[in-house]
Amino acid sequence: MAEITLVEAINLALSYEMQADSQVVVIGEDVGKDGGVFRATVGLLDKFGPERVLDTPLAESMIAGMAIGMAAQGLKPVAEFQFMGFIYPALDQIINHAARMRNRTRGRLTCPVVFRTPFGAGIHAPEHHSESTEAYFAHTPGLRVVIPSSPARAYGLLLASIRDPDPVIFLEPSRLYRFAKQEVNNDGKALPLDVCFTLRVGEDVTLVTWGAMVKETIAAANTLQQEGIHAEVIDVATIKPLDMETILASVEKTGRCVVVHEAALTNGVGAEIMAQLAEKALFSLKAPPERVTGWDTIVPYARLEKYYLPNEKRITDAVHSLMEYA
Amino acid sequence: MKIFHLPDLGEGLAEAEIREWYVKVGDVVTVDQPLVSMETAKAVLDVPSPYAGKITALHGKVNDIIKTDAPLISFETDEATSDQGSVVGKLETSESKWDESEVIIGSAKTKSPAIKALPVARVLAKQLNVDLTKVVATGPQGLITPEDVKNCLASSSSPSISTSLSGETESLHGVRRVMALTMAQSHREVVPVSIFEEADISALPLSTDITVRLLMAIIAGVKAEPALNAWFDGKTIERKLFKEVHIGLAVDTAEGLFVPVIKQAETQSAQALRERIDAYKKAVKSRSVSPQDMQGATITLSNFGMITGRYATPIIVPPAVAILGCGRSRDAAIARNGQFVVGRLMPLSLTFDHRAVTGGEATRFLATVIQQLENK
Amino acid sequence: MKIVDRFEIPFYQYLNENSELADEIPPLAEDTAALLHLYRLMVLVRMIDTKAIALQRTGKLGTYPSTRGQEASFVGIGNALAKEDIFVPYYRDMGTLIQRGVKLSQILLYWGGDERGNCFTKDSQDFPFSVPVGSQPLHAAGAAYAIKYHKQKRAVLASCGDGATSQGDFYEALNVAGVWKLPVVFAVCNNQWAISVPRQVQTAAHTLAQKAIAAGIPGEQVDGNDVIAVQHRTAEALKAARENNQPSMLELVCYRQSDHTTADDASRYEPKEKREQEWKKEPVMRLRRYLEKLGAWTEKQEETLLAECAAEMDVAVKEYLATAAQPVESMFDYLYAQLPKAYEKQREELKNLEDVVHG
Repeated sequence: MAEITLVEAINLALSYEMQADSQVVVIGEDVGKDGGVFRATVGLLDKFGPERVLDTPLAESMIAGMAIGMAAQGLKPVAEFQFMGFIYPALDQIINHAARMRNRTRGRLTCPVVFRTPFGAGIHAPEHHSESTEAYFAHTPGLRVVIPSSPARAYGLLLASIRDPDPVIFLEPSRLYRFAKQEVNNDGKALPLDVCFTLRVGEDVTLVTWGAMVKETIAAANTLQQEGIHAEVIDVATIKPLDMETILASVEKTGRCVVVHEAALTNGVGAEIMAQLAEKALFSLKAPPERVTGWDTIVPYARLEKYYLPNEKRITDAVHSLMEYA
Repeated sequence: MKIFHLPDLGEGLAEAEIREWYVKVGDVVTVDQPLVSMETAKAVLDVPSPYAGKITALHGKVNDIIKTDAPLISFETDEATSDQGSVVGKLETSESKWDESEVIIGSAKTKSPAIKALPVARVLAKQLNVDLTKVVATGPQGLITPEDVKNCLASSSSPSISTSLSGETESLHGVRRVMALTMAQSHREVVPVSIFEEADISALPLSTDITVRLLMAIIAGVKAEPALNAWFDGKTIERKLFKEVHIGLAVDTAEGLFVPVIKQAETQSAQALRERIDAYKKAVKSRSVSPQDMQGATITLSNFGMITGRYATPIIVPPAVAILGCGRSRDAAIARNGQFVVGRLMPLSLTFDHRAVTGGEATRFLATVIQQLENK
Repeated sequence: MKIVDRFEIPFYQYLNENSELADEIPPLAEDTAALLHLYRLMVLVRMIDTKAIALQRTGKLGTYPSTRGQEASFVGIGNALAKEDIFVPYYRDMGTLIQRGVKLSQILLYWGGDERGNCFTKDSQDFPFSVPVGSQPLHAAGAAYAIKYHKQKRAVLASCGDGATSQGDFYEALNVAGVWKLPVVFAVCNNQWAISVPRQVQTAAHTLAQKAIAAGIPGEQVDGNDVIAVQHRTAEALKAARENNQPSMLELVCYRQSDHTTADDASRYEPKEKREQEWKKEPVMRLRRYLEKLGAWTEKQEETLLAECAAEMDVAVKEYLATAAQPVESMFDYLYAQLPKAYEKQREELKNLEDVVHG
């Protein structure tokens, strides 16, 4: 078993599935010769050839539209957008076609495409390279939105996403790409979609999060542990469709909940979780549920970036204020 | 491979002399680690390392004069060889391992969920210093209401025996949960008295539909004594008599006790009653009885004797005021006309709420029921 | 200074407005049987089209985009496509779809507001109606790539209007088709109007065909009112695509003899005489006069044909009107291969909803 980073796990999963299924093709800018600007697709061109690893002209809408056409004809495209900030030209294709092809044709044509892209802030990049707008896609019926937070989950969830017969938006937290390694077994086993992962078990408070924020949330849980507060940490992983059952079971136990996401506060995916907690967990709550998120601003340029992203202290502060109630 | 050139050590100095090397070739150094002591026209100062890496060459010996911008030290660093692989930005790397002990897919198996209470009840409990785990919940869906909190406070003055369970327990839900809560409520409110008697059903053919006969007997009974076909409100001390007879029929299932209500039983023929009973039995089995069909009983029949048992003290569910229990019929020796004969006896247990029904009303009711049962 | 490139855009026409043949003609021009077949199709399409407008005006159909005046373009394309080719329509292509196995009643079903209008035939690989303008040529390019990847001998044809050629996606499709040598033909039905925007205001390019030049693929203009030219040039383009992975673009020049859709009022922007003038070039009468010249068509045959088409149309309309709406919960049933648990409750709620009547 190899110890690899998150981005290497992406590469491993792609390699495995391309070997196993001849219909899987990779398409995107700089994915072939260059191996992808983050090296997510490194080595695939050599291994599988130019018919399966396609360096495209610079046209995001085209990348999505092509993938949709290919998928209708039985291919399983994995389309890369270099950064989430550049997926927007493809929104028309994704929302108006990928998400609707099955519905519109009553299942006659389908769209088994994975649209993958690095997302999130914290890498001190120029403007537009720090987007975390998963909410746009989580609001679109017909799509799945999947966000891994560890190398093992990146491997397992990407395999599941490629194998899923419907379109998946696969958002890779760039801040975690090379952060720390993990043992990943290259056994081709997919992890289940549509379900949360409980990373820590605890009785006092439920911390719900995804993506790069898992790092800060775990760190906060460790700090709280030393204070005698035992936090349960849930990695949502599949943002849409949301596995609210797991979150509710946890909140019924702990009675306290903090949702952590780096995306902007208002109408972020945290708002959906809050709404469902109000609907279904009101009588279990010992304190109002809280959100710790990015501000309702454009992600600032690199110099102020660290003030934008939620940090460990903001999370522990939130938990402390919850513990003050009953 | 990187070469560090002697920087301008202060305001345009052209050169400096090596005083002392702190490192040698082959040393691995960190950023800012002092490498060498240099003397300039103005001062003696330490030069810190600009890189982390291994020293591969020192470009001078002690006492050599090095010109500003001339090579001073060569390093072998990691940066040059490793593929940065990022067209923009800087990705944090770390040697730390991923911090995950055991990941659970879905939710962690929990013990019983925390208490469910109306938020306003929680606040009240905190204010009144009431332990929520001690409060008996009577709200919808088993919720603790502010009332419950207050009740708990009232009853907490008396010393209580600890009833908390340990070891492997199961949380009660659904019908069993309702039973637990309802019976407790009944116990708190109703003042029950039970009267026991037997009906001599020797004259009835064995094929008699006993249940239907009991229902019709009850109908006759409440006609004679309407006080037992009523609802009572203990808080307002009000009573509501009913013209219609809605008889609750207790049905036992694996999941627990269900009491569907035969509405307007007084208007129905024996056959209609039997059909209704059968329909309800079926519905209960398939869990398709509607909530409406389980409400509104004005009096209840519990045929507990189907299995075993002679007499019982059946529990009244408020706001009703009476429940008739029927035990297991048996052959027995009866004294008749001064002689012992073998007859068939059916034991009856009537519980009535003595807040709303008198002993006279209850006994007259029971007498009528028995008379109806015994006549062919 | 030196000139590094030039380009030429040919214009193809075999049967002119006066129903006269050009000097050089394809075999189709003398194939009476084939021409009669095309003629019958155009007459049927025109009749259904008129009926569809009537259905909309009487509240029995939703908004409908007429294809009047463009019969030759769509019928010609449909006839040129091979069965195993893939067709990627926009939304005016009735004349093509009916040759691809799609029933008339299904087309009405689509405009009647029922997704099943996109079902076509069970094993059809054609793409569904595409409303976002200019988005579907990319799907055609993608499908063409898959065909190439699977080493099949098939071609893809995407149709769109003149308005679509201003969309970025349109150029992106031509561009990738050119650089990756995809077996796809882009057929632009230039009916001179994009709702109220006339062709001259759409782009400064002299022809739409020359937009292909920018993508490095051949582009030509074809008289969209000459079904012989449309059929022949499309067949040739598909052949080049199928056999040599050569993409190309055809600009079919025709005229929109109707409002953009039944929700539009062209009298607000269309010069009155223009439509009348253009009617002189209309394709159905053009072919009819030619067939009559050949002695292959009579008044009697015309009567019979009209009666047959009317009968066929009647059956289709009845079938459409008799088709019950889908069950309410079908809204949920085709979102995913399997509806995720998270939405099951909503589906049940919807199923139990009383009939919703919107005032």
